[in-house]
Amino acid sequence: MTHGLVDFRVLATLAVAGIAVLDATPVAQTLISQPLVTAAALGAVWGDWRTALEVGLVLQILSAATLPLGARTPEDYASGGVIGVAIALMAATLHPFEMVREACAMIGVVIGLVASILGVALLKWQRRRNEGLSRWCEEALAAGHEGALAAAHRAAIVLSFAIGVAYCAAWLALSPWIAKLTSVESLRLAHAWNLAQPLWLGLGVAQLLHAFVQRRLGRAALYGMALVAAWLVLMVGTP
Amino acid sequence: MARLNSWVLFRMALRASLLQATWNYERQQGVGWAYALEPALEPLIPDPGPRTQRLAEHTAYFNTQPTMASVALGVAANLEERRAMGEGPDAAAMARVKSALGSSLAAMGDRLFWMTLRPFAACLGAIVALTNLARGALVLWLSYNVIHLTVRFLGVGWGYRGGPDVLGPKLRGGFERLTRTTTLLGCIALGVLTAMLLAPGGEPRPLVFQVLLMAGIGVGFVVAQRPRPSPTEWALGAALVCTTAAWMRGVS
Repeated sequence: MTHGLVDFRVLATLAVAGIAVLDATPVAQTLISQPLVTAAALGAVWGDWRTALEVGLVLQILSAATLPLGARTPEDYASGGVIGVAIALMAATLHPFEMVREACAMIGVVIGLVASILGVALLKWQRRRNEGLSRWCEEALAAGHEGALAAAHRAAIVLSFAIGVAYCAAWLALSPWIAKLTSVESLRLAHAWNLAQPLWLGLGVAQLLHAFVQRRLGRAALYGMALVAAWLVLMVGTP
Repeated sequence: MARLNSWVLFRMALRASLLQATWNYERQQGVGWAYALEPALEPLIPDPGPRTQRLAEHTAYFNTQPTMASVALGVAANLEERRAMGEGPDAAAMARVKSALGSSLAAMGDRLFWMTLRPFAACLGAIVALTNLARGALVLWLSYNVIHLTVRFLGVGWGYRGGPDVLGPKLRGGFERLTRTTTLLGCIALGVLTAMLLAPGGEPRPLVFQVLLMAGIGVGFVVAQRPRPSPTEWALGAALVCTTAAWMRGVS
């Protein structure tokens, strides 16, 4: 797979990062950028569906209740999802043991969360660059250049894709140290994963529940009934 | 005056996908709006000079929920058609219509797409992903886009044919019902997801996992009442606590 310094899997990961960042806000918003979807793409690229699922699921559930309302800039889970899952997968390919895999998942989620928070600053920077682009476009239109509209859009899309790729590449550059950390501290990190995974999933489910229920008792009851019914079906089997 | 054909409306919907490409704090979706409206203005104002001036007028501040923007674009095309025939609103009235439509559509669209449909799609995708990740991703994508892409591509036509009165009881009621139904389905999907996390495939998880999951839901529901700290910050806090606990327990 590796040809000198360029690994096909790393290039594919960077491409996924660029596409995810484009889908999140600038282009189409079809949810290709959701962590579960990018995790599936990365799972296929790296050939490790289990690690991709575990990290992607936690990041997906946490991101689902993070809303882009009005002009607020929410955490950048499009980048965070790709970066977190990719770091976990890169570290896990080096150590095929179960314990180290859990350590990789732990590190992956934490890096995904940090990358989503830090990504906000980058998004804001880019949106300020767009201010200049927008002013240029208006002036060009006023001067009679209709092509400025298409040119401004091309420039904004290229900038956005490039930022997505560069941000992901910066994190992936840390992966050798992260892989070392996961193998040295695999036992403790695996312990932490076993505690953190259910807590994270619970926190995310609660956020979603809050979004759906909105203080209506009937909806909370519906959730409870669905939970019990599904649990009975799983444990006892269909009647 | 030729009415705008469906090819023009389709091109507008395609360009509406790029509405936020140049999103910025000053004009927000303004430049994207003008770009999406361009296909409608091309047949209506064949002379490039006046057309470019009209486009410059349309780059003014605009913001709404990006999927619902299709409906507003359709209305703007309808009004521009009337302006081209020498009737219809002047520039100031056009700006008022855009602003009113933008905020009403944002209120409906935020509730439907961001607060209901996206969480619902995530739940459904997560349920399926627990057994097959690729299929889960596909289910997430499809369950969102069946509605998202329908509104984006048909919305232009609704707005174009309905004109400024498009947000009547019919469309509002339809969106209201869709939001309510999706919310109820979301409650059910979330219940099923919780059960599957507790006992995937009928194999109960270890007791520690089950207790911590329920604890997470309990604590999460309390902290969800306030917007700050965000769920992400709480999750990082939880990571810190768990890592500290693992280190204190030591290697055994």
